[in-house]
Amino acid sequence: MATAIMMPRQGQSVESCVLVDWLVSRGDEVKEGQVLANIETDKAVFELESPAAGTIVDLFFEEGDDIPVLINIGAIGSQGEDVDDLRPDPTTLAAAQTETQTTEAPSSSALPAPSSGATAPPAAGGGGGISPRARNAAARGGVNVNTLAGTGPGGRIIERDVLNAAANMPHMNRAAAEAASQGMTAPAQGSGPGGMVLARDLKAPAEGAVGKPLSGIRKLIAGRMHQSLATTAQLTLHMSFNATAIMTCRAHVKEKGKSLGLPNITINDILAYNTVKTLVEFPEMNAHFLGNRIAQYPDVNMGIATDTERGLMVPVVHGANNLSLAEFSVKAKQILKDAQAASINPDLLSGGTFTITNMGMLGIEKFTPILNAPEVGILGVGCPHLQPVMRDGEVTHIQAITLSLTIDHQAVDGAPGARFLKELCMALETFELTTGG
Amino acid sequence: MPKHQIVDPTQERKPGKLEFPEVPLNAYDGTIADELKNLGKDALLGMLEDMLLIREFENMLNEIKTAGVYEGVEYDHKGPAHLSMGQEASSVGQAFHLTVDDHIFGSHRSHGEILAKGMSAIRKLDDKSLLAIMKEFMGGECLSIVESNIKTSSVKDLGRQFLVYGALAEIFGRKPGFNRGLGGSMHAFFTPFGIYPNNAIVGGSADIATGAALFKKINRKPGIVIGNIGDASMGCGPVWEAINFAAMSQFTTLWEDEMKGGLPIIMNFMNNFYGMGGQTSTETMAYDVLARMGAGVNSDAMHAERVDGYNPLAVADAIKRKRAIIEKGEGPVLLDTLTYRYSGHSPSDASSYRGKDEMDLWHNVDSIEWFSGELQEAGAIDNNGLETIKRDIVSVTASACRLAADDAISPRIQASFIEDVMFSNKQRDSYDESREPELLEVGANNPRIKLLKKRSRAGIVDGKPAPKNKVIQFRDAIFEAVLHRFKEDPTLVAYGEENRDWGGAFACYRGLTEALPYHRLFNSPISEAAIVGTAVGYALEGGRVLAELMYCDFMGRAGDEIFNQMSKWQSMSAGVLEMPLVLRVSVGSKYGAQHSQDWTALCNHIPGLKICFPATPYDAKGMLNTALRGSDPVIFFESQRLYDIGELFEPEVPEGYYEVPFGPPAKRRDGSDITIITIGATLYRALQATDILEQKHGLKADVWDCRSINPLDYEPLVESVKKTGRLLLASDACERGSVMQSIAQNLSQMAFDALDAPPVVVGSRNWITPCAEMEDSFFPQPEWILDAIHEQILPLPSHLVTSNQTTGEAVRRARMGV
Repeated sequence: MATAIMMPRQGQSVESCVLVDWLVSRGDEVKEGQVLANIETDKAVFELESPAAGTIVDLFFEEGDDIPVLINIGAIGSQGEDVDDLRPDPTTLAAAQTETQTTEAPSSSALPAPSSGATAPPAAGGGGGISPRARNAAARGGVNVNTLAGTGPGGRIIERDVLNAAANMPHMNRAAAEAASQGMTAPAQGSGPGGMVLARDLKAPAEGAVGKPLSGIRKLIAGRMHQSLATTAQLTLHMSFNATAIMTCRAHVKEKGKSLGLPNITINDILAYNTVKTLVEFPEMNAHFLGNRIAQYPDVNMGIATDTERGLMVPVVHGANNLSLAEFSVKAKQILKDAQAASINPDLLSGGTFTITNMGMLGIEKFTPILNAPEVGILGVGCPHLQPVMRDGEVTHIQAITLSLTIDHQAVDGAPGARFLKELCMALETFELTTGG
Repeated sequence: MPKHQIVDPTQERKPGKLEFPEVPLNAYDGTIADELKNLGKDALLGMLEDMLLIREFENMLNEIKTAGVYEGVEYDHKGPAHLSMGQEASSVGQAFHLTVDDHIFGSHRSHGEILAKGMSAIRKLDDKSLLAIMKEFMGGECLSIVESNIKTSSVKDLGRQFLVYGALAEIFGRKPGFNRGLGGSMHAFFTPFGIYPNNAIVGGSADIATGAALFKKINRKPGIVIGNIGDASMGCGPVWEAINFAAMSQFTTLWEDEMKGGLPIIMNFMNNFYGMGGQTSTETMAYDVLARMGAGVNSDAMHAERVDGYNPLAVADAIKRKRAIIEKGEGPVLLDTLTYRYSGHSPSDASSYRGKDEMDLWHNVDSIEWFSGELQEAGAIDNNGLETIKRDIVSVTASACRLAADDAISPRIQASFIEDVMFSNKQRDSYDESREPELLEVGANNPRIKLLKKRSRAGIVDGKPAPKNKVIQFRDAIFEAVLHRFKEDPTLVAYGEENRDWGGAFACYRGLTEALPYHRLFNSPISEAAIVGTAVGYALEGGRVLAELMYCDFMGRAGDEIFNQMSKWQSMSAGVLEMPLVLRVSVGSKYGAQHSQDWTALCNHIPGLKICFPATPYDAKGMLNTALRGSDPVIFFESQRLYDIGELFEPEVPEGYYEVPFGPPAKRRDGSDITIITIGATLYRALQATDILEQKHGLKADVWDCRSINPLDYEPLVESVKKTGRLLLASDACERGSVMQSIAQNLSQMAFDALDAPPVVVGSRNWITPCAEMEDSFFPQPEWILDAIHEQILPLPSHLVTSNQTTGEAVRRARMGV
């Protein structure tokens, strides 16, 4: 009896994984636990281990295929064994193959019967293809279909998905719309009458540019960022605070932390942790804007934006408000390390209620972070810099850090945003290690 | 089922024995001397000339087929040539006494019959009439080619050259041919000389010729009809059906007054003893002597005889005697005309199934050798005279061959011409305006008319569907359209099973028995092939006919007649013939696997048929009116689920005459979220689904009733799909290969860019129809339509499926073949 090699489900939110490469071929002998393949979710790369010892009888998919989870992708058994029963059904395959044209279809005559019934939930990224009507609507309305999630059968992008997206798009003329649908970027406001976006307003790649297809993660980031700007009203507020207190703490930890049994608490940890504590006081900032309602969350799930080799990732410390600073520090370090290694549990890459992003180590003083929609706030952290202050009638310099808070003005007005930022700055200026205990 | 004819058990149960009349074999005993006296020298020499002409004509084709050259004319004829060398005496003898009013129908091997009948007509027509016929035919095109290329000595000589060239050009598929080259060798004919269609289907002419005889009888036309079919066709069911139809008792027991009497037809078997390579009398058939079969048909044994077809005088004598019988009203007649073909079935046939010994025996008694020898002996002609005739004939065939083989003189027809002759598209109130229609009670005293007067013409009364027994129903709409045309067109006849007295199994014709004499409305035998085949013959003779098949499932029994005959003769005749034949076909339910099928797709696949399937009383009357005023063959589908419904869409079913054109589909609901197209009774279940879509999901459907299947005007459907982007098609036909699949495919193509999902077909399962109680697992249900929309087109929030309409299931079913 052959054993199926199944595409594992890498976390609750994952619908499908890309088969990056096979490390074995048909006919190879494998041991249980041997790494058979590398697979990639939109967030991380995993090793797929063999569920049994035996011969690789068949591999049902090719490298590069986007494969729904819990589908058999190969079979281990004895040489020449009939493994047709383990083949996945053809509809799933069809859906998987719309994205990757190069894949050969497995012999359909050997496919087992699917049994029934209900439609699969919509897959993100239009895994089910796009209808001609939706494609036309996208061309007319200047919607980049790569950013859409289909709601038709099998995740097909249908007309309503495009119309919904187009409702949030700037007003364009025909030429601009056509160009935009091909992936060129449209500004929110154009140079035409009444702010209409014209073709010349679109940013085209310069001549001589080298075309490079987008990776899965790049596509995802592009989609999220675009959607964020397209669907939210972003307002960024800047405020500096005297970083002396937290820098003192950091020095203290560096010097005596080990002996006190403390983990390596960083400036980042302190900043994030104080943000968590302040968010508890400002529930309207710890929220999602969902179009027709706002969801406020009792717990703070703090997303920490981080640059990885594969691009921007935002691992999340869930329930951060229930942690001590030390605990927070340990957790944050672990998820950041996992994210860098691309082995993070995908569930830890979602569910954030607020995000912090630090560009200080790159020398950036202040910037305008883009919301991780539908979150209503994101806090940007700049680099420490000397700032002159008047003290006792004289100009002196302090180490200051500028915080850049972007809020979704649809959900939060400027004043409460400012009050939140002020409260956070005060907390940071008066921070003592013991208070954060 | 006439009530005054009693089936009496005392009579039926009496002992006794059946006596059969004697069937004469080769009874002719005339001599050349007698016939020289009776018929005259010229007549007999004419017979000899015609036999020589046929022999040379067939010899020419044999040379062309086997050597590619005849008398120096090189030609490659790609099509068929079923030759009749050896059979000349049978066709010349038959044609001798026939007039232009006598019509012959033939087979795939009928070149000889065409020439014999053509020469007979040329000899009998006066010069003026002959010239007029040739000048009028297809604008004189054929004649002018002959006139400008060949020198002829007289009008009759011109007529012969015209006949030979017209037939050969037709065989070679040329535009100046008798049927523009669209008929070819096996279908050539020339109605002005009384030569009616020859048929490439073995026995195909039997029921068509019977229908032609029916036309002559009912419309009091002069002349008789001869169906020339082969001995092997005696093995074909439709031939038997035709013989029985032609000999039905009612012609003598029930038809009134001067209509009393048998059909004026000779069913003539050109018995050459072979059917392809099968030897009939000693191998493939049971009859021993073919003429025996007449004895099994009626008490006259159909006046059957075996006639020696190797003696033209014997055949001519037989035709003369049989015509007299027919003119007394004692037809039909069966003739077994023995003959022998020297060639194989076709030039590609090596005659491996018969020996040289046998062929030598027939060559030894060759009819031409014998007949010319006898005439020489009697001093009617000398050797020189014979040679002169032969040379003259070769010059006629060689001239014809030279012209017919020449692409410049005899071009092909433009292919687009075929499109123009697929339908005649005429509107004719009557096929004979010189006569008043024969009618009985068609006024207020007609029981049906009296009943309908009391009924509401509107189907919706006070905003609600009126009770069924108080409205004009679908079946009443059919009645009104039929009665109207009966009052307009004296040639119209209607028949089928239980059409008279009973009024049709579904009561559409109740009241017509009181309205019409027997010869305009009668009961046919349960012979679907003969019902349709005779109707084809009736129509191509120039009469309007309304035939009926009680269940769609019985179409299989009339397969050849519907698919090869009814559909093709207008175009194969190059527009010479019209086919005003409406075939009503009832689609059943509740009666299981062989009484519940919708075969619209089979008909739709066949070029040359107009097909409709009205779903409302308004359309039923309007479309039947259109069909019955047209000139084209129409398959008129009706659903037994709908016979009792009232009109729910139009304000009423008008009492007066109106037409609903073929082509445009009817919009039944207006919406912009999804297009739903239905055929037939499925409309009403689709409307239930439409209501649910609107009430539960806020979606409005654009619902179209595809009442006209062919022709079909796609424009409104394309516009609808462009509007909605979504398309579902439903009909009660089994899903695989249904009309809906064709329409879905066409709309995918025509509106591809507008589609938001693939068009989805909801049809019946590819199963047998189960018992009535289980039909909801077979025929499309409203829930299936919703499920298909949910799975394939637009997920419906909170919808719970009750059937499996997924792609995976479709793949599985297809793989299983179910």
